[in-house]
Amino acid sequence: MKKILIVEDNDMNMKLFYDVLSYNNYNVVKAFDGLDAFEKIEHDNFDLIILDMLLPKMDGFSLIKKLKDENIKYPKIIVVSACAMDADKQKALALGIENYLTKPIDINNFLKVVKENLS
Amino acid sequence: MNDILNKSLNLIDEILNGEDAKSDKFYDKLALKISSIFNNQSFLIYFLQDIETVLKSGCKNGKLIKNYKANDTFLSCLYDNKTKIFETKSDKILSDFTLVGRLAIKNSIFGYCILSFDKMPSEDEITAFVSLCSTVSYKIKDYELNGVFKIQLKAMQDAFIEKENALLTVKKQHKKLLEIDKTKNLFLANISHELRTPLNAIIGFSQALSSKIFGPLNEKQNEYIKDIQISSLHLLGMINEILDISKIEANAIKFNPSEISPKQAIEEVANIVEPLLKDKKINLDFKSDFDGLIYADYQKFQQILYNLISNAIKFSNEKGEIEITSAQNANNYILTIKDYGIGIDKKHHNKIFKKFVHLEDNFKNGIKNQSSTGLGLAITKELVKLHKGKINLKSEIGKGTSFEIIFKGAVL
Repeated sequence: MKKILIVEDNDMNMKLFYDVLSYNNYNVVKAFDGLDAFEKIEHDNFDLIILDMLLPKMDGFSLIKKLKDENIKYPKIIVVSACAMDADKQKALALGIENYLTKPIDINNFLKVVKENLS
Repeated sequence: MNDILNKSLNLIDEILNGEDAKSDKFYDKLALKISSIFNNQSFLIYFLQDIETVLKSGCKNGKLIKNYKANDTFLSCLYDNKTKIFETKSDKILSDFTLVGRLAIKNSIFGYCILSFDKMPSEDEITAFVSLCSTVSYKIKDYELNGVFKIQLKAMQDAFIEKENALLTVKKQHKKLLEIDKTKNLFLANISHELRTPLNAIIGFSQALSSKIFGPLNEKQNEYIKDIQISSLHLLGMINEILDISKIEANAIKFNPSEISPKQAIEEVANIVEPLLKDKKINLDFKSDFDGLIYADYQKFQQILYNLISNAIKFSNEKGEIEITSAQNANNYILTIKDYGIGIDKKHHNKIFKKFVHLEDNFKNGIKNQSSTGLGLAITKELVKLHKGKINLKSEIGKGTSFEIIFKGAVL
Protein backbone atom coordinates (compact mmCIF):
# COMPACT_ATOMS: atom_id res chain seq x y z
CA MET A 1 0.00 0.00 0.00
CA LYS A 2 1.41 3.39 -1.03
CA LYS A 3 2.01 5.81 1.80
CA ILE A 4 0.99 9.45 1.38
CA LEU A 5 1.63 12.41 3.69
CA ILE A 6 -1.00 15.17 3.63
CA VAL A 7 0.16 18.56 4.92
CA GLU A 8 -2.92 20.74 5.36
CA ASP A 9 -3.95 23.09 8.18
CA ASN A 10 -7.64 23.37 7.33
CA ASP A 11 -9.63 20.64 9.13
CA MET A 12 -12.32 20.35 6.46
CA ASN A 13 -9.87 20.04 3.59
CA MET A 14 -7.74 17.59 5.58
CA LYS A 15 -10.81 15.45 6.16
CA LEU A 16 -11.72 15.59 2.46
CA PHE A 17 -8.24 14.59 1.23
CA TYR A 18 -7.90 11.94 3.96
CA ASP A 19 -11.28 10.32 3.24
CA VAL A 20 -10.93 10.34 -0.54
CA LEU A 21 -7.36 8.98 -0.50
CA SER A 22 -8.11 6.37 2.19
CA TYR A 23 -11.12 5.19 0.22
CA ASN A 24 -8.82 4.77 -2.78
CA ASN A 25 -6.62 2.40 -0.78
CA TYR A 26 -3.77 4.67 0.16
CA ASN A 27 -2.09 4.66 3.55
CA VAL A 28 -2.55 8.29 4.62
CA VAL A 29 -0.64 10.19 7.31
CA LYS A 30 -1.72 13.68 8.46
CA ALA A 31 0.45 16.70 9.29
CA PHE A 32 -1.22 19.99 10.27
CA ASP A 33 1.77 22.33 10.10
CA GLY A 34 5.19 22.63 8.45
CA LEU A 35 7.27 21.56 11.45
CA ASP A 36 5.09 18.51 12.07
CA ALA A 37 5.47 17.61 8.39
CA PHE A 38 9.27 18.04 8.54
CA GLU A 39 9.59 15.67 11.50
CA LYS A 40 7.40 13.06 9.85
CA ILE A 41 9.32 13.20 6.57
CA GLU A 42 12.61 12.95 8.51
CA HIS A 43 11.57 9.81 10.41
CA ASP A 44 9.29 8.03 7.98
CA ASN A 45 9.29 6.99 4.34
CA PHE A 46 6.53 8.32 2.10
CA ASP A 47 5.73 7.64 -1.55
CA LEU A 48 4.12 11.05 -2.08
CA ILE A 49 3.46 14.35 -0.29
CA ILE A 50 0.30 16.46 -0.74
CA LEU A 51 1.33 19.92 0.40
CA ASP A 52 -0.59 23.11 1.16
CA MET A 53 1.63 26.19 0.96
CA LEU A 54 0.24 28.53 3.62
CA LEU A 55 0.88 26.65 6.84
CA PRO A 56 1.40 27.48 10.50
CA LYS A 57 4.89 27.33 12.06
CA MET A 58 6.66 26.77 8.72
CA ASP A 59 5.17 27.40 5.29
CA GLY A 60 5.46 25.04 2.32
CA PHE A 61 8.30 26.99 0.69
CA SER A 62 10.40 26.91 3.88
CA LEU A 63 9.63 23.24 4.38
CA ILE A 64 10.96 22.26 0.92
CA LYS A 65 14.03 24.47 1.39
CA LYS A 66 14.77 22.94 4.80
CA LEU A 67 14.47 19.42 3.38
CA LYS A 68 16.95 20.34 0.66
CA ASP A 69 19.34 22.17 2.97
CA GLU A 70 19.50 19.27 5.40
CA ASN A 71 19.80 16.66 2.63
CA ILE A 72 16.74 14.79 3.77
CA LYS A 73 15.36 12.28 1.31
CA TYR A 74 11.78 13.13 0.31
CA PRO A 75 9.38 11.83 -2.36
CA LYS A 76 7.51 13.72 -5.11
CA ILE A 77 5.42 16.67 -3.94
CA ILE A 78 2.00 17.75 -5.24
CA VAL A 79 1.13 21.26 -4.09
CA VAL A 80 -2.57 21.96 -3.49
CA SER A 81 -2.88 25.68 -2.76
CA ALA A 82 -5.53 28.38 -2.66
CA CYS A 83 -3.03 30.85 -4.13
CA ALA A 84 -4.21 31.27 -7.70
CA MET A 85 -1.72 33.92 -8.84
CA ASP A 86 0.73 32.86 -11.57
CA ALA A 87 3.62 34.17 -9.47
CA ASP A 88 2.81 31.78 -6.59
CA LYS A 89 2.70 28.84 -8.98
CA GLN A 90 6.00 29.78 -10.65
CA LYS A 91 7.68 30.20 -7.27
CA ALA A 92 6.55 26.74 -6.17
CA LEU A 93 7.47 25.05 -9.47
CA ALA A 94 10.93 26.59 -9.21
CA LEU A 95 11.46 24.47 -6.04
CA GLY A 96 11.12 21.30 -8.09
CA ILE A 97 7.63 20.13 -7.17
CA GLU A 98 5.75 17.80 -9.52
CA ASN A 99 2.33 19.47 -9.78
CA TYR A 100 0.61 22.65 -8.65
CA LEU A 101 -3.15 22.32 -8.21
CA THR A 102 -5.26 25.35 -7.36
CA LYS A 103 -8.11 25.03 -4.88
CA PRO A 104 -10.93 24.24 -5.40
CA ILE A 105 -9.72 21.02 -6.95
CA ASP A 106 -11.62 18.54 -9.07
CA ILE A 107 -11.52 15.28 -7.06
CA ASN A 108 -11.28 13.05 -10.13
CA ASN A 109 -8.44 15.10 -11.56
CA PHE A 110 -6.73 15.10 -8.15
CA LEU A 111 -6.90 11.29 -7.92
CA LYS A 112 -5.59 11.01 -11.47
CA VAL A 113 -2.58 13.22 -10.64
CA VAL A 114 -1.90 11.23 -7.44
CA LYS A 115 -2.01 7.97 -9.36
CA GLU A 116 0.32 9.28 -12.09
CA ASN A 117 2.89 10.37 -9.54
CA LEU A 118 2.87 7.00 -7.83
CA SER A 119 3.31 4.85 -10.90
CA MET B 1 20.91 129.00 4.48
CA ASN B 2 22.42 125.59 4.50
CA ASP B 3 19.36 124.60 6.45
CA ILE B 4 17.13 124.26 3.37
CA LEU B 5 19.65 122.02 1.63
CA ASN B 6 19.83 119.71 4.63
CA LYS B 7 16.08 119.62 4.91
CA SER B 8 15.70 118.88 1.21
CA LEU B 9 18.31 116.12 1.38
CA ASN B 10 16.47 114.53 4.27
CA LEU B 11 13.20 114.82 2.39
CA ILE B 12 14.75 113.30 -0.75
CA ASP B 13 15.90 110.39 1.38
CA GLU B 14 12.45 110.05 2.89
CA ILE B 15 10.75 110.14 -0.51
CA LEU B 16 13.14 107.59 -2.03
CA ASN B 17 12.74 105.18 0.85
CA GLY B 18 9.08 105.91 1.49
CA GLU B 19 5.90 104.53 0.07
CA ASP B 20 5.34 104.12 -3.63
CA ALA B 21 3.69 106.82 -5.72
CA LYS B 22 0.57 104.79 -6.17
CA SER B 23 -2.24 106.75 -4.51
CA ASP B 24 -3.54 110.28 -4.16
CA LYS B 25 -2.39 110.13 -0.52
CA PHE B 26 1.22 109.98 -1.70
CA TYR B 27 0.79 113.24 -3.63
CA ASP B 28 -1.02 114.93 -0.77
CA LYS B 29 1.75 114.00 1.71
CA LEU B 30 4.35 115.05 -0.83
CA ALA B 31 2.73 118.46 -1.32
CA LEU B 32 2.53 119.06 2.45
CA LYS B 33 6.12 118.01 3.07
CA ILE B 34 7.65 120.02 0.23
CA SER B 35 5.62 123.02 1.21
CA SER B 36 6.63 122.66 4.85
CA ILE B 37 10.39 122.73 4.28
CA PHE B 38 9.87 125.91 2.25
CA ASN B 39 8.07 127.67 5.16
CA ASN B 40 4.61 126.59 4.04
CA GLN B 41 4.81 128.29 0.68
CA SER B 42 2.15 127.38 -1.86
CA PHE B 43 2.98 124.24 -3.78
CA LEU B 44 1.21 122.58 -6.69
CA ILE B 45 1.86 119.42 -8.62
CA TYR B 46 0.39 118.93 -12.08
CA PHE B 47 0.30 116.02 -14.41
CA LEU B 48 0.13 116.24 -18.17
CA GLN B 49 -2.48 113.86 -19.40
CA ASP B 50 -2.93 113.86 -23.14
CA ILE B 51 -3.44 117.54 -23.87
CA GLU B 52 -4.97 118.38 -20.48
CA THR B 53 -3.14 119.47 -17.37
CA VAL B 54 -4.49 117.89 -14.20
CA LEU B 55 -3.81 119.11 -10.71
CA LYS B 56 -2.66 116.10 -8.71
CA SER B 57 -2.34 117.88 -5.39
CA GLY B 58 -1.46 121.22 -3.88
CA CYS B 59 -1.32 123.20 -0.65
CA LYS B 60 -1.38 126.72 0.65
CA ASN B 61 -0.56 127.92 4.18
CA GLY B 62 0.19 124.32 5.23
CA LYS B 63 -3.21 123.02 4.18
CA LEU B 64 -4.25 120.89 1.22
CA ILE B 65 -6.26 122.59 -1.48
CA LYS B 66 -9.39 120.55 -1.78
CA ASN B 67 -12.22 120.39 -4.26
CA TYR B 68 -10.31 121.83 -7.12
CA LYS B 69 -11.64 121.40 -10.62
CA ALA B 70 -9.67 120.78 -13.74
CA ASN B 71 -10.53 124.17 -15.25
CA ASP B 72 -10.38 126.05 -12.01
CA THR B 73 -6.64 125.89 -11.74
CA PHE B 74 -4.53 128.32 -9.90
CA LEU B 75 -2.15 129.58 -12.49
CA SER B 76 -3.04 132.33 -14.78
CA CYS B 77 -0.75 131.14 -17.46
CA LEU B 78 2.09 128.65 -17.78
CA TYR B 79 4.58 128.42 -20.56
CA ASP B 80 7.19 125.79 -21.03
CA ASN B 81 9.86 126.66 -23.54
CA LYS B 82 7.50 129.10 -25.20
CA THR B 83 4.76 126.48 -25.44
CA LYS B 84 1.69 127.53 -23.57
CA ILE B 85 0.83 124.75 -21.15
CA PHE B 86 -2.36 126.25 -19.82
CA GLU B 87 -3.94 129.43 -18.56
CA THR B 88 -6.62 130.21 -16.07
CA LYS B 89 -8.55 133.16 -14.79
CA SER B 90 -8.11 132.82 -11.08
CA ASP B 91 -4.83 133.80 -9.60
CA LYS B 92 -5.11 133.49 -5.88
CA ILE B 93 -2.34 131.21 -4.85
CA LEU B 94 0.85 132.02 -6.60
CA SER B 95 3.01 135.06 -6.14
CA ASP B 96 5.34 136.80 -8.54
CA PHE B 97 8.23 134.66 -7.33
CA THR B 98 7.24 131.30 -8.59
CA LEU B 99 9.50 128.39 -9.47
CA VAL B 100 8.28 125.86 -12.03
CA GLY B 101 10.06 122.52 -12.13
CA ARG B 102 9.55 119.87 -14.76
CA LEU B 103 8.61 116.35 -13.83
CA ALA B 104 10.53 114.47 -16.46
CA ILE B 105 12.65 111.44 -17.12
CA LYS B 106 15.17 112.03 -19.87
CA ASN B 107 13.37 114.43 -22.18
CA SER B 108 9.90 113.16 -21.64
CA ILE B 109 7.91 115.65 -19.56
CA PHE B 110 4.93 114.27 -17.70
CA GLY B 111 4.13 117.03 -15.20
CA TYR B 112 5.14 120.17 -13.31
CA CYS B 113 5.85 121.15 -9.74
CA ILE B 114 5.16 124.75 -8.87
CA LEU B 115 6.43 126.50 -5.77
CA SER B 116 5.52 130.07 -4.98
CA PHE B 117 7.69 132.32 -2.80
CA ASP B 118 6.74 135.55 -1.13
CA LYS B 119 10.18 136.91 -2.00
CA MET B 120 12.95 136.11 -4.45
CA PRO B 121 14.11 132.50 -3.66
CA SER B 122 17.71 131.96 -2.73
CA GLU B 123 20.10 129.88 -4.80
CA ASP B 124 19.97 127.14 -2.15
CA GLU B 125 16.21 127.14 -2.30
CA ILE B 126 16.28 126.84 -6.09
CA THR B 127 18.83 124.00 -5.87
CA ALA B 128 16.76 122.23 -3.25
CA PHE B 129 13.61 122.59 -5.36
CA VAL B 130 15.27 121.31 -8.54
CA SER B 131 16.65 118.30 -6.64
CA LEU B 132 13.25 117.60 -5.20
CA CYS B 133 11.63 117.77 -8.64
CA SER B 134 14.13 115.22 -9.97
CA THR B 135 13.49 112.97 -7.00
CA VAL B 136 9.73 113.18 -7.39
CA SER B 137 10.07 112.47 -11.12
CA TYR B 138 12.17 109.43 -10.38
CA LYS B 139 9.82 108.24 -7.63
CA ILE B 140 6.74 108.50 -9.86
CA LYS B 141 8.35 106.77 -12.83
CA ASP B 142 9.87 104.17 -10.53
CA TYR B 143 6.42 103.26 -9.38
CA GLU B 144 4.94 103.36 -12.87
CA LEU B 145 7.62 101.09 -14.20
CA ASN B 146 8.80 99.05 -11.24
CA GLY B 147 5.47 99.16 -9.48
CA VAL B 148 3.67 97.77 -12.47
CA PHE B 149 6.50 95.32 -12.94
CA LYS B 150 6.31 94.36 -9.26
CA ILE B 151 2.55 93.87 -9.51
CA GLN B 152 3.01 91.70 -12.57
CA LEU B 153 5.83 89.81 -10.88
CA LYS B 154 3.70 89.31 -7.78
CA ALA B 155 0.78 88.12 -9.91
CA MET B 156 3.10 85.73 -11.71
CA GLN B 157 4.53 84.50 -8.43
CA ASP B 158 1.03 84.05 -7.02
CA ALA B 159 -0.06 82.18 -10.15
CA PHE B 160 3.06 80.06 -9.96
CA ILE B 161 2.52 79.24 -6.28
CA GLU B 162 -1.12 78.50 -6.97
CA LYS B 163 -0.13 76.20 -9.82
CA GLU B 164 2.49 74.50 -7.65
CA ASN B 165 -0.03 74.03 -4.88
CA ALA B 166 -2.60 72.63 -7.30
CA LEU B 167 0.03 70.29 -8.70
CA LEU B 168 1.00 69.22 -5.20
CA THR B 169 -2.63 68.55 -4.33
CA VAL B 170 -3.11 66.54 -7.51
CA LYS B 171 0.10 64.61 -6.81
CA LYS B 172 -1.04 63.88 -3.26
CA GLN B 173 -4.45 62.77 -4.48
CA HIS B 174 -2.84 60.65 -7.18
CA LYS B 175 -0.58 58.96 -4.63
CA LYS B 176 -3.52 58.36 -2.32
CA LEU B 177 -5.57 56.91 -5.17
CA LEU B 178 -2.69 54.64 -6.17
CA GLU B 179 -2.44 53.43 -2.59
CA ILE B 180 -6.19 52.83 -2.41
CA ASP B 181 -6.02 51.00 -5.73
CA LYS B 182 -3.14 48.85 -4.52
CA THR B 183 -5.00 48.05 -1.31
CA LYS B 184 -8.10 47.22 -3.33
CA ASN B 185 -6.22 44.83 -5.62
CA LEU B 186 -4.52 43.18 -2.66
CA PHE B 187 -7.89 42.87 -0.96
CA LEU B 188 -9.45 41.32 -4.07
CA ALA B 189 -6.58 38.84 -4.45
CA ASN B 190 -6.85 37.95 -0.75
CA ILE B 191 -10.63 37.55 -0.91
CA SER B 192 -10.23 35.24 -3.86
CA HIS B 193 -7.67 33.22 -1.90
CA GLU B 194 -9.66 33.07 1.34
CA LEU B 195 -12.84 31.97 -0.45
CA ARG B 196 -11.08 29.13 -2.23
CA THR B 197 -10.28 27.20 0.94
CA PRO B 198 -13.90 26.59 2.11
CA LEU B 199 -15.04 26.23 -1.50
CA ASN B 200 -12.53 23.40 -1.94
CA ALA B 201 -14.26 21.50 0.87
CA ILE B 202 -17.77 22.24 -0.46
CA ILE B 203 -16.99 21.18 -4.02
CA GLY B 204 -14.84 18.26 -2.88
CA PHE B 205 -17.38 16.76 -0.47
CA SER B 206 -20.27 17.14 -2.92
CA GLN B 207 -18.15 15.52 -5.62
CA ALA B 208 -17.28 12.67 -3.26
CA LEU B 209 -20.99 12.19 -2.55
CA SER B 210 -22.10 12.37 -6.19
CA SER B 211 -19.46 9.81 -7.22
CA LYS B 212 -21.26 7.51 -4.74
CA ILE B 213 -17.99 6.20 -3.35
CA PHE B 214 -19.53 6.17 0.11
CA GLY B 215 -22.79 4.56 -0.95
CA PRO B 216 -25.81 5.21 -3.15
CA LEU B 217 -27.97 8.35 -2.97
CA ASN B 218 -31.71 8.64 -3.46
CA GLU B 219 -33.21 10.81 -6.22
CA LYS B 220 -33.72 13.92 -4.07
CA GLN B 221 -30.20 13.65 -2.59
CA ASN B 222 -28.78 13.38 -6.11
CA GLU B 223 -30.72 16.46 -7.20
CA TYR B 224 -29.53 18.49 -4.19
CA ILE B 225 -25.91 17.47 -4.68
CA LYS B 226 -26.15 18.65 -8.30
CA ASP B 227 -27.63 21.97 -7.07
CA ILE B 228 -24.75 22.40 -4.60
CA GLN B 229 -22.28 21.74 -7.41
CA ILE B 230 -23.93 24.21 -9.81
CA SER B 231 -24.03 26.90 -7.12
CA SER B 232 -20.43 26.20 -6.13
CA LEU B 233 -19.29 26.53 -9.74
CA HIS B 234 -21.26 29.76 -10.04
CA LEU B 235 -19.48 31.03 -6.91
CA LEU B 236 -16.11 29.86 -8.23
CA GLY B 237 -16.78 31.69 -11.50
CA MET B 238 -17.30 34.91 -9.59
CA ILE B 239 -14.20 34.37 -7.43
CA ASN B 240 -12.18 33.81 -10.60
CA GLU B 241 -13.57 36.99 -12.15
CA ILE B 242 -12.56 38.97 -9.06
CA LEU B 243 -9.07 37.49 -9.22
CA ASP B 244 -8.86 38.20 -12.97
CA ILE B 245 -9.81 41.83 -12.61
CA SER B 246 -7.34 42.32 -9.75
CA LYS B 247 -4.63 40.69 -11.88
CA ILE B 248 -5.51 42.89 -14.85
CA GLU B 249 -5.48 46.03 -12.72
CA ALA B 250 -2.19 45.12 -11.09
CA ASN B 251 -0.75 44.37 -14.57
CA ALA B 252 0.00 40.86 -13.27
CA ILE B 253 -1.78 39.00 -16.03
CA LYS B 254 0.43 36.74 -18.14
CA PHE B 255 -0.07 36.61 -21.89
CA ASN B 256 1.14 33.28 -23.30
CA PRO B 257 0.37 33.19 -27.02
CA SER B 258 1.08 30.21 -29.21
CA GLU B 259 -0.22 28.65 -32.43
CA ILE B 260 -3.74 27.55 -31.60
CA SER B 261 -6.68 26.06 -33.44
CA PRO B 262 -9.77 28.25 -32.90
CA LYS B 263 -11.96 25.36 -34.07
CA GLN B 264 -10.67 23.10 -31.32
CA ALA B 265 -10.95 25.86 -28.69
CA ILE B 266 -14.54 26.65 -29.70
CA GLU B 267 -15.58 22.99 -29.68
CA GLU B 268 -14.14 22.55 -26.20
CA VAL B 269 -16.00 25.60 -24.86
CA ALA B 270 -19.19 24.39 -26.57
CA ASN B 271 -18.86 21.18 -24.55
CA ILE B 272 -18.36 23.08 -21.31
CA VAL B 273 -21.52 25.19 -21.84
CA GLU B 274 -23.59 22.19 -22.93
CA PRO B 275 -25.42 21.87 -19.55
CA LEU B 276 -26.30 25.61 -19.61
CA LEU B 277 -27.67 25.27 -23.17
CA LYS B 278 -29.70 22.20 -22.27
CA ASP B 279 -31.14 23.93 -19.24
CA LYS B 280 -32.74 26.63 -21.46
CA LYS B 281 -33.18 24.38 -24.51
CA ILE B 282 -31.01 26.71 -26.57
CA ASN B 283 -29.46 25.60 -29.84
CA LEU B 284 -25.82 26.53 -30.43
CA ASP B 285 -24.91 26.78 -34.10
CA PHE B 286 -21.19 26.80 -34.91
CA LYS B 287 -20.28 27.84 -38.45
CA SER B 288 -16.59 27.53 -39.14
CA ASP B 289 -15.30 29.02 -42.39
CA PHE B 290 -11.82 28.90 -40.98
CA ASP B 291 -9.91 25.73 -40.25
CA GLY B 292 -6.40 27.10 -39.83
CA LEU B 293 -4.22 28.24 -36.95
CA ILE B 294 -4.01 31.62 -35.28
CA TYR B 295 -1.54 33.18 -32.86
CA ALA B 296 -3.35 33.61 -29.54
CA ASP B 297 -3.36 32.64 -25.86
CA TYR B 298 -5.37 29.41 -25.81
CA GLN B 299 -6.69 29.71 -22.26
CA LYS B 300 -7.61 33.39 -22.71
CA PHE B 301 -9.19 32.78 -26.11
CA GLN B 302 -11.42 30.21 -24.43
CA GLN B 303 -12.19 32.57 -21.56
CA ILE B 304 -13.29 35.30 -24.01
CA LEU B 305 -15.50 32.80 -25.79
CA TYR B 306 -16.91 31.34 -22.57
CA ASN B 307 -17.77 34.81 -21.20
CA LEU B 308 -19.59 35.81 -24.39
CA ILE B 309 -21.45 32.51 -24.84
CA SER B 310 -22.55 32.36 -21.20
CA ASN B 311 -23.79 35.97 -21.53
CA ALA B 312 -25.62 35.05 -24.73
CA ILE B 313 -27.29 32.13 -22.92
CA LYS B 314 -28.15 34.33 -19.97
CA PHE B 315 -29.89 36.92 -22.16
CA SER B 316 -31.59 34.48 -24.56
CA ASN B 317 -35.12 33.29 -24.14
CA GLU B 318 -35.96 29.58 -23.77
CA LYS B 319 -35.55 27.59 -27.01
CA GLY B 320 -33.45 30.41 -28.42
CA GLU B 321 -30.64 30.31 -30.94
CA ILE B 322 -26.98 31.28 -30.58
CA GLU B 323 -24.63 31.47 -33.58
CA ILE B 324 -20.85 31.34 -33.50
CA THR B 325 -18.97 32.16 -36.67
CA SER B 326 -15.28 31.75 -37.18
CA ALA B 327 -13.82 33.50 -40.22
CA GLN B 328 -10.77 35.03 -41.81
CA ASN B 329 -10.46 38.48 -43.41
CA ALA B 330 -7.03 39.10 -44.95
CA ASN B 331 -4.71 38.12 -42.08
CA ASN B 332 -7.27 39.03 -39.42
CA TYR B 333 -9.22 36.36 -37.58
CA ILE B 334 -12.85 37.25 -36.83
CA LEU B 335 -14.97 35.55 -34.19
CA THR B 336 -18.67 36.40 -33.87
CA ILE B 337 -21.11 35.39 -31.13
CA LYS B 338 -24.70 36.26 -31.98
CA ASP B 339 -27.87 35.72 -29.97
CA TYR B 340 -31.54 36.50 -30.61
CA GLY B 341 -32.26 37.45 -27.01
CA ILE B 342 -33.47 40.60 -25.29
CA GLY B 343 -30.80 42.90 -26.76
CA ILE B 344 -29.17 46.00 -25.27
CA ASP B 345 -30.54 49.53 -25.58
CA LYS B 346 -28.24 51.81 -27.58
CA LYS B 347 -27.88 54.16 -24.61
CA HIS B 348 -26.14 51.39 -22.66
CA HIS B 349 -23.71 50.33 -25.41
CA ASN B 350 -20.88 52.45 -24.05
CA LYS B 351 -21.13 51.35 -20.48
CA ILE B 352 -21.54 47.58 -20.68
CA PHE B 353 -17.76 47.08 -20.91
CA LYS B 354 -17.25 48.98 -17.66
CA LYS B 355 -16.66 47.22 -14.35
CA PHE B 356 -19.52 46.32 -12.01
CA VAL B 357 -22.22 47.23 -14.52
CA HIS B 358 -25.61 45.56 -14.17
CA LEU B 359 -28.31 46.84 -16.50
CA GLU B 360 -31.56 47.45 -14.65
CA ASP B 361 -33.44 46.94 -17.92
CA ASN B 362 -32.58 43.23 -17.79
CA PHE B 363 -34.63 42.81 -14.67
CA LYS B 364 -37.55 44.68 -16.22
CA ASN B 365 -37.26 42.58 -19.33
CA GLY B 366 -37.88 39.44 -17.35
CA ILE B 367 -34.33 38.18 -17.05
CA LYS B 368 -34.02 36.57 -13.64
CA ASN B 369 -31.80 38.33 -11.14
CA GLN B 370 -28.80 36.06 -11.55
CA SER B 371 -26.04 37.12 -9.24
CA SER B 372 -22.90 38.11 -11.08
CA THR B 373 -19.90 40.30 -10.43
CA GLY B 374 -20.60 42.57 -13.40
CA LEU B 375 -16.98 42.02 -14.40
CA GLY B 376 -17.37 39.55 -17.27
CA LEU B 377 -17.37 42.01 -20.18
CA ALA B 378 -14.75 44.25 -18.55
CA ILE B 379 -12.45 41.22 -18.32
CA THR B 380 -13.36 40.10 -21.85
CA LYS B 381 -12.44 43.51 -23.24
CA GLU B 382 -9.08 43.44 -21.43
CA LEU B 383 -8.35 39.92 -22.71
CA VAL B 384 -9.14 41.06 -26.26
CA LYS B 385 -6.84 44.04 -25.69
CA LEU B 386 -4.02 41.68 -24.64
CA HIS B 387 -4.37 40.12 -28.09
CA LYS B 388 -4.18 43.62 -29.62
CA GLY B 389 -7.69 42.90 -30.89
CA LYS B 390 -10.94 44.81 -31.05
CA ILE B 391 -14.40 43.96 -29.80
CA ASN B 392 -17.47 45.40 -31.55
CA LEU B 393 -21.03 45.34 -30.29
CA LYS B 394 -24.19 45.34 -32.39
CA SER B 395 -27.42 45.12 -30.48
CA GLU B 396 -31.04 46.15 -30.67
CA ILE B 397 -33.71 45.85 -28.02
CA GLY B 398 -35.84 42.77 -28.64
CA LYS B 399 -33.76 41.55 -31.59
CA GLY B 400 -30.60 40.28 -29.98
CA THR B 401 -26.94 41.01 -29.53
CA SER B 402 -23.85 40.29 -31.58
CA PHE B 403 -20.25 40.59 -30.43
CA GLU B 404 -17.58 40.62 -33.12
CA ILE B 405 -13.95 40.18 -32.09
CA ILE B 406 -11.22 41.02 -34.55
CA PHE B 407 -7.86 39.43 -33.80
CA LYS B 408 -5.69 41.69 -35.95
CA GLY B 409 -2.97 39.94 -37.90
CA ALA B 410 -3.51 36.73 -35.93
CA VAL B 411 -3.88 34.38 -38.90
CA LEU B 412 -0.71 32.38 -39.48
